[in-house]
Amino acid sequence: MNKLIYLDNAATTFPKPASVMKKMIEIYSRIGVSPGRGSYDLAAEADELVARTRRKVADFFGSPDPDRVIFTGNATDALNIALQGLLRPGDHAVSTRLEHNSVLRPLYHLHMKGIIEYDLVPFDGKGFVDPGDVIAAIRPNTKLVVVTHASNVLGTVQPVREIARLCAGYGIPLLVDAAQSAGVIPIDMQSWQIAGLAFTGHKSMLAPTGIGGLVLNRQIEGIEPSRFGGTGVDSRSLVHTEDFPYRLEAGTINLMGIIGLSESIEFLEQMGIESIHAKEMALLNKLRDGLSLFDGIELYCTENFPDHVGLLTANIRGMDPNDAGAILDGDFGIAVRVGLHCAPLVHESLGTSPYGSIRFSIGPFNSSDEIDQVLLAMTEIERHGRHGL
Amino acid sequence: MGDLSQRFCTIAGKEILVDNEGFLWHVEDWTEEIADALALECGIERLTDAQWAVIRFLRSYFSYYGRAPMNRDLKAGLGISLLDLEALFPGGIRHGARRIAGLPNPRSCT
Repeated sequence: MNKLIYLDNAATTFPKPASVMKKMIEIYSRIGVSPGRGSYDLAAEADELVARTRRKVADFFGSPDPDRVIFTGNATDALNIALQGLLRPGDHAVSTRLEHNSVLRPLYHLHMKGIIEYDLVPFDGKGFVDPGDVIAAIRPNTKLVVVTHASNVLGTVQPVREIARLCAGYGIPLLVDAAQSAGVIPIDMQSWQIAGLAFTGHKSMLAPTGIGGLVLNRQIEGIEPSRFGGTGVDSRSLVHTEDFPYRLEAGTINLMGIIGLSESIEFLEQMGIESIHAKEMALLNKLRDGLSLFDGIELYCTENFPDHVGLLTANIRGMDPNDAGAILDGDFGIAVRVGLHCAPLVHESLGTSPYGSIRFSIGPFNSSDEIDQVLLAMTEIERHGRHGL
Repeated sequence: MGDLSQRFCTIAGKEILVDNEGFLWHVEDWTEEIADALALECGIERLTDAQWAVIRFLRSYFSYYGRAPMNRDLKAGLGISLLDLEALFPGGIRHGARRIAGLPNPRSCT
């Protein structure tokens, strides 16, 4: 079989840039100690690298305050910290049916504990949320709006600038889940009036797994920590520090991941995220155009490609997407993601529950030739599959 | 998909615990009679030799490794493409072959 064609970049980009991997290992081999703990120079050097990376992240997302860059394990971790730290008993939150379980489950958990109420705004037939619908769902006790920037199932980029502007008019902070957009769509939190942003390193940021972040603007006040412990500062006190970023970080941070993130931001800035996005969209266009020629293949919400990230979702009529994924992998060496993509309400709305769909997600290292091979594979599957459902 | 809901179902005259998609909950509950009954549910009047070969491979692999074969092992072990395997069973690979062979429903959130 030929080399694997990897089209599961929306889950985790693979491979990582060789330069990022190389420098990450080099630097970690040299300074892989506890940042900021201890009186020796190496700890101070590691701490300086962490501080530099906070600045890089803040600059990358247009946030003015590096101290409000909280390192987390991933976007889910960041969203949990934000949702559980910001919402109080009696509060109401607004979100959307496009969300990943990283938002849906914390909201549901808080609701089932009797702490909050929330409403989920629908999306239209093209995969977009109407900002007016978000605002219409606001109640007097609404304390937070949380919206995904790009759907992990449909790839549609949501109008978060407009939503943020409208929310600001009501004095309600907007928390953006940028898991799928960070690294391919430029984001400027300050001018867009985004109060909080959750991102992960392991997708389009091209960093390793296990590193992500929560970036907060000064609009966010009084966020409560949900984890407590060692921070390297104020060790005598039993009270966890209120100072950012340690307020929301406890325990030794993921230095290896932070180095990787620092290096991957350098890589993205050298490449230019607009040019990475343009390349991915060119390949996605080719894939979309090829797949749309088949009567037996159904595509979902691929009309508005200007407002899209490099993924699309499809089904072969009558075939369990799990089987399609197995065939693509086993017979053709093509790795895709099938099923519900941890976003069950999107599939419920599309009518693709309970089996979901096949998601093809492009990364910066995919090629036009690979898309040709995918289209050939899909031709064969569509023509010869029995389609057992 | 791995629906964790359980229910009892009468299959080939036995009360068998299955999940909401009709996959056996306990792999050891499987018998050839149950395979015939599950096949009938899929519209297979009588399992062919080729279908039995697939079922026996899946059972044997699961007994040895304690898990279902990966895609490459399935293809190599059967000596046919997964596209042909999908076409061999009404219901396809997962709902057809795997379910009739009595293997558990994959629990991973695919």
